[in-house]
Amino acid sequence: MQQGDGQETQVTWDDQQNINKFGRLNNKFHELEDEIKAKKDMAENLEDAGNELILTDEEEVRYLIGEVFSHMPKDDVESRLEAMKEENEAELQQLEEEKKAVLIQMAELKTILYSKFNDSINLEEE
Amino acid sequence: MASVTSASERRGIPAAPFVHDVQSFLTQSSYDASTALVALQDRLQQYKLAEMKLLAQRRDLQAKIPDIKKCVEIVDTLLAKKGTGETMKVDFELAEGIYSRAQIPEADSVCLWLGANVMLEYPLEEARSLLQSNLENATASLKSIIEDMQFLRDQVTVTEVTIARVYNFDVHQRRKLRNQAKEEEES
Repeated sequence: MQQGDGQETQVTWDDQQNINKFGRLNNKFHELEDEIKAKKDMAENLEDAGNELILTDEEEVRYLIGEVFSHMPKDDVESRLEAMKEENEAELQQLEEEKKAVLIQMAELKTILYSKFNDSINLEEE
Repeated sequence: MASVTSASERRGIPAAPFVHDVQSFLTQSSYDASTALVALQDRLQQYKLAEMKLLAQRRDLQAKIPDIKKCVEIVDTLLAKKGTGETMKVDFELAEGIYSRAQIPEADSVCLWLGANVMLEYPLEEARSLLQSNLENATASLKSIIEDMQFLRDQVTVTEVTIARVYNFDVHQRRKLRNQAKEEEES
């Protein structure tokens, strides 16, 4: 941002607030990306656990609660896994929606800021 | 219009003043561009330092919250068993990587490690509500730390933009002076 070509565009408080907002959204976007990745990994792990459960012959499996492996009937574990999967899926969906909303807002701010500052501002990731 | 707008502050973090007009900002503060830049850079450094501190606090809390959730989960499990007369069979860790089997008979209470070398026995319901309130506290402080960070980030952005503007202003002034000198030479 420091390589201005000497062209002076007045920066108003409104502009500054738009820039701040863009910065915040950009941060939010990255945080959402991280959270979405974590949820996707979680979904995969739950899926793997579910598949293992189908393959096993044992009626009693070990399920981690707190710090201990509790011995639990397979059916109980299955329903717990199912519940976790659903919760995870719902959270993932919500995060994706948020991400969409953030991207829309960022695009709007980009239009506003670029139309005022042209090349004097850079809003792209390095 | 004043040349500088300053908002309030948030938990000891002063807001970055917004400069409306670089020229009058420099005249009023009787800085030249380079001293102003140094002062602004200094301010930016302080903000960055504060940001690091907040980041560390956030990391701590983000690690703590899942731990508390685990505690709530196991107490919930014990609570669910209460009154059923069932024993819980578990594999638990004796030392890192070494496990043994234990039977936990139907329990009415658990011992909570309170810290400072103190452990206290609680009825399950009380333990549960204590842990729950710990969880709520941790979540609330995480939320306020995230808000602090957003505020701080805004101040960083304001300062960075101000630095860029003072810098550009300076470049512009120098160019003007150079062109003036050239014109005088030519005439």
